Amino acid sequence: MLFNSLSFILFLIIVLALYYAKILNWTNKKRMLLLSSYVFYGMWNPPLVILLWISTMVDWTAGKRLAVEENQKKRKMWLLLSMLVNLGFLGFFKYGDFLLENFVTIVNSIGIDFKAKPMDIILPMGISFYTFQTMSYTIDMYKRKTERARTFLDFALYVTFFPQLVAGPIVRAKELITQFYEPKKATANQFIWGLFLLTIGLFQKVVMADTLLAGTSDKVFGSSKLLHGVDAWVGTIAFSGQIFFDFAGYSTCAIGIALMLGIILPDNFKYPYASLGFSDLWRRWHISLSNWLRDYLYIPLGGNRHGITRMYAALMITMLLGGLWHGAAWTFMVWGGLHGTYLILERLQRRYLPFEITKWNGMFLAFVTFSCVNITWVFFRARTFEKAWDMIKSMFYMQIAGEKILDTFTIVKICTVIGIMFLCHWYMRNTSMKEVSLKTSPYVLGIVWAIMTFLLIIAQGSGEQFIYFQF
Amino acid sequence: MKLKKSLVLAISITLIATVAWELYWRSQGFHPTLNDEKALWAMTRAKVETATKNDVIILGSSRAYFDIQVDQWQKSTGKAPLQLASTGSSPLPIFNDIVNNTNFNGTVIVGVTPGLLFSTTYPKAFPWERPQSKVDFYQDRTYAQRLNFLLSVPLQNNLVLMSADEEEWDDDIDLKSLLKRVNLGKRDTIPPPPPFYNFGDVSIPRNISMMPRTVTDTVFAKSIIDVWHFFGKGAPPPEKDATTAFFMKDVEKFKAKGGNLILIRPPSSGGVRMGEKMGLPRERFWDSLVNVANVKSYHFEDYDQFKDLTCPEESHLSLADANFYTEELVKILKEDNALTNQKPN
Repeated sequence: MLFNSLSFILFLIIVLALYYAKILNWTNKKRMLLLSSYVFYGMWNPPLVILLWISTMVDWTAGKRLAVEENQKKRKMWLLLSMLVNLGFLGFFKYGDFLLENFVTIVNSIGIDFKAKPMDIILPMGISFYTFQTMSYTIDMYKRKTERARTFLDFALYVTFFPQLVAGPIVRAKELITQFYEPKKATANQFIWGLFLLTIGLFQKVVMADTLLAGTSDKVFGSSKLLHGVDAWVGTIAFSGQIFFDFAGYSTCAIGIALMLGIILPDNFKYPYASLGFSDLWRRWHISLSNWLRDYLYIPLGGNRHGITRMYAALMITMLLGGLWHGAAWTFMVWGGLHGTYLILERLQRRYLPFEITKWNGMFLAFVTFSCVNITWVFFRARTFEKAWDMIKSMFYMQIAGEKILDTFTIVKICTVIGIMFLCHWYMRNTSMKEVSLKTSPYVLGIVWAIMTFLLIIAQGSGEQFIYFQF
Repeated sequence: MKLKKSLVLAISITLIATVAWELYWRSQGFHPTLNDEKALWAMTRAKVETATKNDVIILGSSRAYFDIQVDQWQKSTGKAPLQLASTGSSPLPIFNDIVNNTNFNGTVIVGVTPGLLFSTTYPKAFPWERPQSKVDFYQDRTYAQRLNFLLSVPLQNNLVLMSADEEEWDDDIDLKSLLKRVNLGKRDTIPPPPPFYNFGDVSIPRNISMMPRTVTDTVFAKSIIDVWHFFGKGAPPPEKDATTAFFMKDVEKFKAKGGNLILIRPPSSGGVRMGEKMGLPRERFWDSLVNVANVKSYHFEDYDQFKDLTCPEESHLSLADANFYTEELVKILKEDNALTNQKPN
């Protein structure tokens, strides 16, 4: 079920009505939320709910045993079981065809004539999110960093909680499960603020991403022609805006919906396009994944504890795997590799060419960071290396007779939207929406809210899927 | 409380703005109508799974869609046909789906628009990709998408502001379409296509009828004619052999299942008809297809009651003429015993 759909509006109204009706006690409310979450997921493809159940059962059992088991060897076995099941699901459903394709290429390259029919495996929506979330519980249990979930219901709801089930934020057990222990109810202010966040999230997705930006990026990246530099840049910045508004929109909706139920989810985006460098970027973009990769991959790989070379290697491996997490294609690896390279270069700069960031050079640095990020988006969005390379050539004027496929208004529109987005990120980088709203007159806030809602209504999104669902 | 004030204000302004928006577009001559979307097609396609020998399916492009009126057909035969024709489409992908993915062995009427049926078998070509996307949507649609459609129907039927058709008409009034109309100049030298305005009203069960404006407003009708001429001039040469061979495979399969296939050629007129006579002459295309298919077939030129019908925009019949065409076609089919198990006249 998509947040930007009529069925979700109906679903949410029913869930809220049952949640706030006095007919259910807290345990039954949690049962209702769990059942609703399965319905939410099953409305897409009912049989794939079974994967959720398996993941839940395995990690609940592993967590239960890890809570009491003292034998280190057995503890490790339970951890391995959890990782095997979750990564096994991920490997089979997400990377099955990719691995097969590469296997065929390798054996063909050594002269063996082998052909394999693609398995055409359906990718369960949000599998990368919920498997990472459940694994974090088991790993934290193994490391004794979190306590065992009190009841199976609490744990199942943690895995399946519908607002963040299919595209995050990836929440740690101690952040969410503990909230299920005591009855929760949003205050009137929390409820209204949640509704406001839901409106902003939908506005970001439907109006900004789908209506204003998606068409241009689709046209540019879908073109088989060699493009003029302006068209290539405009298409790329359109995609950078689209993916931000699409994904941040989802996270904002998720946080808002949870808040309407009195549950607090962590921020997932903090104005990332005004980042001062790439370490800053990853503290602001998809924060819950960055933290996950840091805690469960970068640090176990050695982090910065074993010298510079090892640190750079850990950084690069983390970013390459982070790239692969987004999709089963080499272009995603290149995207991750570019970010890994940026992070290494930034550390080298800090070591050998340190300089102070002032308010004067800050905005320039943010702009440079944003421009470098845009280059990585080319590899993220292009379906093939050929297309990505054609785009890079056009962007850097390595070929000059490119086709002009965008009209003047589209260029003006995209540059205006992205320019405003960049400035907003810059001015908001040290504050939050909540803080700004507290300083804003309720009338101004109401008018802004109304404008967003009205634009949402007249945009009438066609129920486009969120980009991150496919990851 | 501060946020409560904001909420009340937001709801009030949104309500006022939305009502004003709706009234404004109504004052501009717009009226609520269903969007001709994949979900509506899929809803009708789903009925094929339980259709019997007595059922009739209509396939084809927009001519079969506009010219065969479901209500009139039901009046004449006692049973509504399943209207699965698709605008701007070759009928081959949908016929292929019906033959290969269902057990249906009733009657299939294929409306032949030569420029589309004989156009291509290339999966990425527009006349193929468009109907195939409907078939794919039907096969892949989720329960959420089904529910979304059901919930959207009453809204579409009652609100003009819900007009965001998949067709992306140049007079759609959703935000994206409105922005598309802003023109600050082009950067290439390719002439733009003429504007294409919506000229059909869609209803449930899936049916389309020509908007009265197309009949009464000749300037509006001319804008549609310009579109046909634009597409006609730019169309690649037909792929008669490939399309016929593809179609015949499915025809044989369908016949082997006991299915009853009927070919019809709905009317066209004016410049479009002239273009068709030049580029897709009857003898080389229609007659040739009828010959190899060896099924009952009905060309409008062969019937006195049809040959003088005039299409307001040269390609489709007005609602009144479409009702007449449907009624007369059913009579002809019955007299010819072309329909199985239908109620007598």
